Amino acid sequence: MQQPDVSSRTGDVTCLVMAAIFLAGFAAVAIKLKDVQLDNVASITSAGEKQMLRRIRTPGERGRILASDGTVLASNRPVRLITLNPEHFQSRTQDMTATNIHNAVESAAIVVGRDSPLSMHDIERHIKRNLARPLIVWRDVTDSELARFAEHEDMLPGFECEETLVREYPEGSLASHVLGYVGRDRVDAGSGERRFNYVEFEMRGRAGLEERYDSFLRGAPGEDAVTVDARGFARKEWTVVPPQNGPDLILSLDVAMQRAAEEQLRGLKGACVALDPRNGAVLAMASSPDYNANLFVPVLTQELWQDMSNDPSKPLLNRAISGSYAPGSTFKPVTALAGMGAGFSPAAGYECTGAYRLGKMSIRCTHLWGHDPPVLDLTMALKESCNPFFCDLGMRAGTNALIMAARKAGLGARTHIDLPGEAQGIVPDDEWKRANWGEKWYPGDLAQMSIGQGMLLVTPLQMARLAGGLGTGKLATPHLKAGEKGETEPLPFPEWQLEAVRKGMKRVVKDGTGRKAGTNLAVEVAGKTGTAEVGRGATRRKNAWFIAYAPAANPTVALAIVIENGETGGATAAPKAREILKARFGELAQSGGKEGA
Amino acid sequence: MNLKMLLRFNWVLFASMLALLACGTVAIWSAGNAREAIFHGMWMNHLFTALIGLVLYFLLALTDYRIVIRLVSPVAYAVSLVLLIAVLAFGSTVYGGRRWLWFFQPSEIAKLCTLVFLAGMWAWANALEIPLKGFCAFSAFALAAAVPAALILLEPDLGTTLAFIPAAIAMLVAGDVGRKGVLIAVATGAIAASVVLGAVYEAEKPGQLPEKREAILRHLPLKPHQVKRVKTFLFPESDPMGAGYNLRQSLIAIASGGFSGRGIGKGETNRLKYLPSSVSMNDFIFCVWAEETGYAGSLLLIALYTALCSAGAWIAWAAADTAARMLAIGLVTLVFAHAYINMAMCIGLVPITGLPLPFISSGRTFLVTMMAALGLLQSISIHKEEST
Repeated sequence: MQQPDVSSRTGDVTCLVMAAIFLAGFAAVAIKLKDVQLDNVASITSAGEKQMLRRIRTPGERGRILASDGTVLASNRPVRLITLNPEHFQSRTQDMTATNIHNAVESAAIVVGRDSPLSMHDIERHIKRNLARPLIVWRDVTDSELARFAEHEDMLPGFECEETLVREYPEGSLASHVLGYVGRDRVDAGSGERRFNYVEFEMRGRAGLEERYDSFLRGAPGEDAVTVDARGFARKEWTVVPPQNGPDLILSLDVAMQRAAEEQLRGLKGACVALDPRNGAVLAMASSPDYNANLFVPVLTQELWQDMSNDPSKPLLNRAISGSYAPGSTFKPVTALAGMGAGFSPAAGYECTGAYRLGKMSIRCTHLWGHDPPVLDLTMALKESCNPFFCDLGMRAGTNALIMAARKAGLGARTHIDLPGEAQGIVPDDEWKRANWGEKWYPGDLAQMSIGQGMLLVTPLQMARLAGGLGTGKLATPHLKAGEKGETEPLPFPEWQLEAVRKGMKRVVKDGTGRKAGTNLAVEVAGKTGTAEVGRGATRRKNAWFIAYAPAANPTVALAIVIENGETGGATAAPKAREILKARFGELAQSGGKEGA
Repeated sequence: MNLKMLLRFNWVLFASMLALLACGTVAIWSAGNAREAIFHGMWMNHLFTALIGLVLYFLLALTDYRIVIRLVSPVAYAVSLVLLIAVLAFGSTVYGGRRWLWFFQPSEIAKLCTLVFLAGMWAWANALEIPLKGFCAFSAFALAAAVPAALILLEPDLGTTLAFIPAAIAMLVAGDVGRKGVLIAVATGAIAASVVLGAVYEAEKPGQLPEKREAILRHLPLKPHQVKRVKTFLFPESDPMGAGYNLRQSLIAIASGGFSGRGIGKGETNRLKYLPSSVSMNDFIFCVWAEETGYAGSLLLIALYTALCSAGAWIAWAAADTAARMLAIGLVTLVFAHAYINMAMCIGLVPITGLPLPFISSGRTFLVTMMAALGLLQSISIHKEEST
């Protein structure tokens, strides 16, 4: 028979023990859960966020570059893209996803009417590296292509039309060397807290102001975030930090002068700089030959880059700041200052015989048969650009005085203009010659240097700055960004010496070698011509110079222009300088009775 | 059903089950929505299966458990053994295990039938006045439990076996069958587990020489994937993208729930498929629930299981006879073992093993089996004062 065994002790105890085990087990789970969900939550969830969150660096809109009158020199142009979202084409395997995308692009190509630029390899690479980002199928979509796309958009799920900005230079090649150009930035993805998984296309200044003011123009990048699923497909995208657009960069450039300068240089090799000597604001800076930076947008192709770099005329070189030229006779005012510093009186006479002889060397004067009258004072010597006079003066002053004067005049050192790639020129001395030529300094070197020849090299910018300094007595630090206060330093020569030079430079334009620079201008111009001989034998040629400041009495513009392979400074450079100054000051009214001062 | 039966109906057992079913439906809805479209309706499947389960529940609850224990159990046991052999012969292979026969998993049915059969053995022995104290008695019971367990292990399905063994042992203890044998079995199991854990620890600890590792593992009766799971349990960070991936994602999901959860249907670890979608509805459904309802929701689930198991233990305590008590203890321990091992593996308390969460996981055979078990428990509660 069945036993009445309900009260068996073993059974009772078992029930209790099992109930205790149940409670203990669930309590253990609850305690461990508290640790995971409440106490230690941060360390585990940060790992979770890391695996599902991708950070994208988004660029701000690049600031424009404007001339002083508001003319837009650089801006941004929207470009339409057709992209596709890979998550829309996801399949079980990566290969199948790639095939899906490939097929979709092929059918979209028929709709849009443009061949697919993407190979299977491109698609696979995108899947491997940028799965969470849209894949750009076509760039620079035309209106008709866009219309066809929009018409059939519902047949092309997963495709989207987007806009992106590329750089545009509305004035074409105007001020191309000043502006520079941009390229694609290889932004560092960063590390640690600031690490980005993806970096959106961002422009980076590669030359000129675009390079110098790159971080200013860029503004501040923003951050987008996208959550990705376990296979890496994008799920949700949102903006974490919106990017800040870059501010506009406003320049001191005078567009009329800039255009005139480029017009005068067209088809030639050379450079021109005009600046305001009172504060260093650059009014015009031209270099020829130039280039059209629009051709580098959206990307500078390898072939174009090769062509431009290998072009013997060096169109990418900004000759105004990076070109080093012998100054020729435009250096003579410095020789004059050095001579006066050594005790030479500006009124003292010197008889030019048509050449200066030093040992076997003979330096000829342009006035081969002497001047009329044959005895010259400083003013006349400057006016007629007499070589023997200045050779003699330089020899009297001595090497050290001449070198000191050149350096005081700002030569042989960078002007610290706000542009990259500035050359510093060369003011040679004994030490420099030994180091570079392996020879000692001869008296002949001094004679050559006195007339701006030999080893002396300057940039057009240095000469424009010097011209302004001669006019105002102050050397200004040149700058392109408007609104800068403008630093000046005194040109360290006594006022009477500067006045003597100014007197000569006025005569140069009034009735001297540079008279073509002042013809019929509304203001009086003071200047100095230069014809620098470079090379020897077959490669011998002349660089034509003209430096000037105007108005002569109270200079507001200083200018330097150099034309490679010119005739003479007076014939080649001076008339061009006149045209450029005309753009600023205007001409004398032909019928009006008003005389130039 | 008369009024007395209605009074003896255990409402806690019933209500906690319904509540768990509701939680499970919500969790499956969320896990299914994260998957392909055909899984979006899985929650309805769960509800429908629960409906079938409820029919079986009441059928068993209203049937006198004595009939089930004495008359049905030998037949059910025999049938389940046949099914287990059939599944090994003709079953379809899913995820590396031969567990499916047509539309159901015989192992789930076999677990329940075996427990009922153990109670049946005791009842018949008692009726025939066969003493159940010696080693022979223990051997007979152990053999009855071991045959299906071995067949399930052959599928292989370690998790189901692991949940079954404690239930069988608890039954033998409750029935006072061969106390020494039980002690020896438990001790042997504990020692074996310690040896395995120790050996894997020694073999896989950082800086261990490869040849020594090989030597240790060669002597272990574990398959490579089992070694990996034990290793992942011992060293959770050792292989975050490989064997440790599930545990890592499980912990991330649970942790990101915080206190109040991400909201139903908003768990990102689940939605973005970091929790492998092949397991998110089944063995790792607890992570989906914990991520979306947070610590509060997890505690609710634990509270429901505690209520359910306590009610089960109460029914065992108050059972009318030893066979019923044995069966009640066995059934409630089976539910507990599943619930505990599943949740504990999700939070790294025990090694990962494939095992569903009762009433929550999607899985028809398992759900119906679990509800049948509770139906039997309910029957023990309802029919305790009747005698045959």
